[in-house]
Parts: sequence; structure tokens; C-alpha cells
Amino acid sequence: MRFKELPTAIKQSARAGLGLVIVATLTLEATAIIQFAYSQKGIKEEASMRAQSEMEATKLKIIDIVDQTETAVRNSIWIASWCLNVPDSIKNITHRLVEDNPVIMGSTMAMVPGYLKKYPLFSPYSCINPETGEIELKTLATQEYDYPSQEWFTKPIEFDAGYWSEPYIDEGGGNVLMTTYSMPIHDEKGRIAAVLTADISLDWLTELVGNVQVYSSAYSLLFSRAGQIMVCPAESLIMKRSIVEMAAESKDSSTYGELSRAILSGSAGNQAINTNGSKKYVYYAPIERTGWSMSIVIPESEVFASIRRMGMMIKFLQILGIALIIVILWIFTKNQLKYKLLEENKEKMESELHIARSIQMSMLPNIFPPFPERHDIDMCADLVPAKEVGGDLYDFYIRDEKLYFCIGDVSGKGVPASLVMAVTRSLFRTVSGHEKSPQRIVTMMNDSMSDMNDNNMFVTFFCGVLDLATGHLRYCNAGHNAPLIFRDSIEMLPVVPNIPLGVIPGMTFQEQETDMHYDDALFLYTDGLSEAENIEHELFGEDRMKEVMSVRRYSQEHLKAMQKAVAEFVGEADQSDDLTMLFIHYLNAERPDSSERHLILHNDIQQIPQLADFVETIADEVKLDQSLVMSLNLALEEAVTNVILYAYPEGSDGLVEVEAILKPGSLEFILTDSGKPFDPTSVPDADVSLAAEDRKIGGLGIYLVRNIMDTVSYKREEGKNVLSMTKNV
Amino acid sequence: MEVFINKTDSETTVRFVGRLDTPASADVFKALDPVINDASGTIILDCKEMSYISSSGLRIFLTLRKAASAKGGRIIVKDICNDIRQVFMMTGFLNLFEIQ
Repeated sequence: MRFKELPTAIKQSARAGLGLVIVATLTLEATAIIQFAYSQKGIKEEASMRAQSEMEATKLKIIDIVDQTETAVRNSIWIASWCLNVPDSIKNITHRLVEDNPVIMGSTMAMVPGYLKKYPLFSPYSCINPETGEIELKTLATQEYDYPSQEWFTKPIEFDAGYWSEPYIDEGGGNVLMTTYSMPIHDEKGRIAAVLTADISLDWLTELVGNVQVYSSAYSLLFSRAGQIMVCPAESLIMKRSIVEMAAESKDSSTYGELSRAILSGSAGNQAINTNGSKKYVYYAPIERTGWSMSIVIPESEVFASIRRMGMMIKFLQILGIALIIVILWIFTKNQLKYKLLEENKEKMESELHIARSIQMSMLPNIFPPFPERHDIDMCADLVPAKEVGGDLYDFYIRDEKLYFCIGDVSGKGVPASLVMAVTRSLFRTVSGHEKSPQRIVTMMNDSMSDMNDNNMFVTFFCGVLDLATGHLRYCNAGHNAPLIFRDSIEMLPVVPNIPLGVIPGMTFQEQETDMHYDDALFLYTDGLSEAENIEHELFGEDRMKEVMSVRRYSQEHLKAMQKAVAEFVGEADQSDDLTMLFIHYLNAERPDSSERHLILHNDIQQIPQLADFVETIADEVKLDQSLVMSLNLALEEAVTNVILYAYPEGSDGLVEVEAILKPGSLEFILTDSGKPFDPTSVPDADVSLAAEDRKIGGLGIYLVRNIMDTVSYKREEGKNVLSMTKNV
Repeated sequence: MEVFINKTDSETTVRFVGRLDTPASADVFKALDPVINDASGTIILDCKEMSYISSSGLRIFLTLRKAASAKGGRIIVKDICNDIRQVFMMTGFLNLFEIQ
């Protein structure tokens, strides 16, 4: 199952990763598109603004020259009208105009034909010789030229106003592009007598307009009133082509036509056109007074060159970013997988440890009471490892009426300690199976453990053999804590420390012995108890142990009380070490001089026959009358049943101790239990005189006890119910 | 303790053998369940081989007695030994049962 899950996990992560990449790509793309759209708009606006401001600047410069020219001509009109009657002085006016105004290349004052009687045609022309730079005087009143039919002459007369002529190539004046401003001159009668002109070269215009560089591959055009190209990067087209012709030739003639009409009508604006397959933006504006129109043509590719560069950069960053995301995802997925494997390993290990723990626990006797059929011994043990598995151990069993028991603590904790623990416990069983002496058991175990101890693990160990018949205890310590012994008071069992198992092979351990009497007890523990630490790092210590133990109880309650005390003491602190306790309560009543008899029963109703046997035995001993035996039996059964059924909470193990004291003339039975306080003597007698229908089902037991026994008394002592019943015999 | 129940048309005989102590009572009570439920006829409790009775045993007797008087039945206790008779006397049971 686990292996099948892995590919699914990979697929899932891969799918999630792919999703993430797609989302990231889409987001980036959308951002780029939005940004592009906004930038495009901005850049278009910027281009338009740049074109317009350039055009405006150029226009101002052009108008400046136009103004200069117009002003010069206008200022000469007054003096010219004076000279109408003095034709010979006219040349002076034209000469002055050229001389005083550097922009003016030539000037003429052309008389309306027939105005002068003397000269039907009269037009002195002053102009700069391009080679010498001198001002020469010519006349335009020639047959070939026919000035009265020239535009510069006819138009101002027609409009009776200043007029800028269409640009023209002046072949006589060095093939320069020229334009002429001409103004009519009125005589004193108000008739138009002549036209005063000023020619200006448009070379500067080419320079001025041609130098407008909005973008590197943008260019400027200047159209005349008639749509002729005046300024153009392609010089061959100058004065050879008009915008109308260009529009007609274009494939995109409709937009072109629109553009040419707009330009010719002298309006300002912009238009996108397609020429030779590339898109261009044309910005145009009129130059007032002259009738000219200036245009700036910017290829779209140029306008958006920067944005395209930016777009490329963004694309590059996008690809880089997505690649980065993919790499990160890949690393992340790989790590995740590694982590998952690790987690699974951990789970597996934990489950194995859990199994190991239950194996370890099942090695130890763990059913309590361990010997329910015996009344001479009451035992309980408990082991709580600090980790899942631990290095503490205990063991006990009865062989040949001897209790073999041990407790031990392997150095260290966890799995290594648990392995040594298992070995130690097996060794104990093997060796003690055929050895009666604790000293021999410990010595043999030590030899065998020292032999194979490559890891320098050692075990503190205490081993005892208790003769259940006599109470004689032989024990041998191997570096373990001295157990507590309960006699009249609680003391440390005197022990020779010796050294732990597994340290020195061939070591001889010293055996010790003592005698245990009825109700004596032995409490064995590991340092997990005595050295249990609370949060302030204080140790639980022997004094606290003794204090808890000072109340006499049965083994199981002793351990419960101890567990509770340790848990309260330790509080929030972590359990620092394995904690093991073994409590052995010796209860053999077979004392040689005894006039007392003891019986310990568990709170199990099936133990009642043992009570009957017990009473039978005592009755035999004192040779009681058979019917009295039955009465005693009945009384005791009722009293004990009462304890068994009601003293302890349901399902919990409890004991009831029966002590028989043989006295001359009387037999005393003392029942002791540590259940909840209950005084049977305080219960009112059942009314035995009632009719069957009125009789209660219960209440007869205690009534019988009271009726059979001669005295019944109850006391609560040291947390126990003590019921004393005497029968005179 | 063993209980033998013998039911004829006219009467039901329950024979107790052994000690009717507390541990035995639970089983006996269960065994006598049909007799308690059908206590309208004559029920003979044969105690010849009963050596001992505890209060829980007496309780069974009382239960039978109550069931019988509720359903118009009749309980006859036969052949009780002296020791048990003494217990019956002590507990007032002698007055509750017809003893033969």
C-alpha cells in the first residue's frame, strides 16, 4: 500500500506544480499585456506631443522669417508709393530691401502694365549674385519672362493683399528653391500701381525642417499651399511631387486621400497610414499666412521601439521567473517526497517500537495478583519506560515454594537498553531455573554478561529468593538501590553494594540474608523512582518514598499510591528515566508458635469455598461441634461476602484479610479490608417476624452474623475496615 | 451445589444437593427461574441432601415463597437438617414455609 501511494503523491505534487506554473504564467502575461497597453497609449501620446512641439517650434521659426520678410516689404510700401512717379528711383527701393534684409535674396517692384506711360512694362529687380555676393540690378520686363502673367504679380493684385507665392525653382538665381512675397502698391488715387516683392530662398527652410529629428528614422515634410513637396528627405521629389499625387499612387488611397485633404485644407491633426507595408504616424499642422503645411512622419516601429525593447525584457524576465518557479517547485516536491518518506519511516519505526514495547512488557509478569490461589504472598509490580522501550526489568516466579525475584536497571535508555534488558531477563530465568542461591545466580549472570559485553553496557541488579514456608530471604545485590523493608518500621534493607552485572567477569558477589515475618514487605525500585525529577530538578528521594509507604496497604494500593505521589511530584516535567517498582508483601501465617490463622481473599465471590476450608481447618483444630462449624461458616461467609460485594468499586481488585485468633473459650475472627468505610453493626436488624409478603429480600446476612456471633464490633483503622467477631466455644 | 427439577402434572419437585452458599446461589437462582415464573402449583423443595445455606440461599427461598403466594401456589420444604432448621428458625423462615 505504501509503495502505491508514492507515485500518486508525486503525481499530485506535479499536478499542483503545473497548475501553479500555469497560473503564474497567465498572471505575468496579463500584467505584461495591461502594462503594454498602457505604455503604448502613453508612448503614442508622447510621440504626438513631441511631434507637435517640434512642429510648433519649427513653425515659429518659419513665421519669424515670414514676418521679417513681410515687415520689410510692408515698410517699403510707403516709400515705394512715393516713387511711383519717379521710376528711376525704384531700383533704390529694391536695392535697399535686399541690402537691409539678409533673408531677402531678391526684390522687384513690378509696375502694372501701362501704368507708366514711358515704360509699358517696368520691373527693376535687385538680387544677390550667388557667386560674388554682390547685389545686381536686372530687369524682369522682358519678353521671355512676361512678369504680368506670373503668379507673384497676379495674385496680390487679385486679392489686393500681400501674397506668398507657390515655391518655385529659380533657375536664374542658382537653382535654389524660392518663394516670393508680393504686396500691391496703391497710388494716391487708390489704384494698384505696382507690386513690390521679396524673394526668399527656401534653403534655410530645408535645413530647418529637415533637421527636425523626433526619432532617428522619423522625417519631416513641408507642403506648399498646392500640396507640392517643399521639404523632403528625398531631394528628387522636391517640387516634383504633390501630396495629391502621392495619395493617388498609394495602395491605401482612402486614408492617404483623407490625409492629403486634411493637409491641403490647412488643418492640424494626425493620421496613421500604411506605406510599403509599414505603419506610419503622420502629424501635420499648417503654417499660417504662408499656406504651407508641415508634417512629421514617424514609423510606428520607431514609436514603439522602446516599448518593444521593454516587452522583450519583460518576456525574458517572465521566462526566467517561470523557470525559477519550476526549479523551486521541483526542489520543493523532491524535499516533500523526502520528508514523506522520512515520515513514513518514522511511522514504521514507531509502530515497530510499539510492538517492541508490547513484546518487552509481555516478558514481564504482568497479571496481578500473580498468585491468586496463594495466601502467603501478595505482590504487585509496575514498569513505566521513559521512552517507548526501556532498560528496566523485574521478574518473579515461584519454584519449590520459593519466590525467585529480581529487579534491574540497564545503563542507558531506549532500544539498546531494551535489548540488554531482554537478555538479562532471559538469563535470570535460565540461571535461576536450576540455582537456589542468589549469589550463584548473580555470579553466573555476571560472567555470562561480561563475556559478551562489547558495548560496555551494564546492569544494576538485585536478586532475591524468599522461602515462602519460612520467610527466610536470601539476596544478592549487584550495584542496585537498596530495597525498602517494612517490618515494625520502614528501613533500608542492608545491602552490600557489589558492582553491576557485566562489568568485571569472574567477580564474586556477596550474598546476604534476613528473615521476613508475617505482614513484612519488601519494596524494590529503580532509580527512576528515587531520582524522579520535578520541574525544579529536585529528586523524589527516599524520604518521600518512605512517607508514601508509611500507610499499610496491600501491594496494589501501595503501588497506586506511589504512582500517584510520583506523578504529583514530577508534575509537568518529562519522565527522565524508566521507573520500576516491585512490592512483595509476605503473609505466611504458618508460624510455628502461632495461635493465629490468616487468610487473604480477593474480592471474588468464587473464593468463598476457600473461606469454608479455612473455617473447617480451624474448627478441626479446636475440635468444634459440627453444627457450630456450620454457624461459624455462615457468619463468616456473610461478613466476607459483604466485603467482597460492596467494599470495593466494581471491577477493581481488593483484598479481604481474615484472621482467626484462638483463645481459651472463644474464637475471634477479625476481617480487615481497605475498601470504603462501612460499619455493619450500625445496620438495623432485619424484622424476621414479618409475613413473607412483607419481608425484604436483603439484609439477612448481617442479621445472621449478629445472631450467630456472640460479639461483633467494628472500627475504622489506618484506612481499613476492621470487623471483629467473637464466638464463645 | 446441584439442583434437580422434576415437574409432574400435580407438582414440581426441586432437589438441592450440596452447599447453597453465595457463589452457588447465582447459578441456582438461574436454574430455578422457570419454577419461579410458574409458581402457581405445588412446589416441593427437597432439602434432604442440602448441607448448608447462606443468606443468599435463603433469598432464593423467599423469592420462591413470594412468587407462589402471588400466583396462588404452595411451597413445601421437605427434610431440612437440624442445622439448616436452626438457620430457618433464626431468620423467621420457619413461619414462612410449610415444613415437612
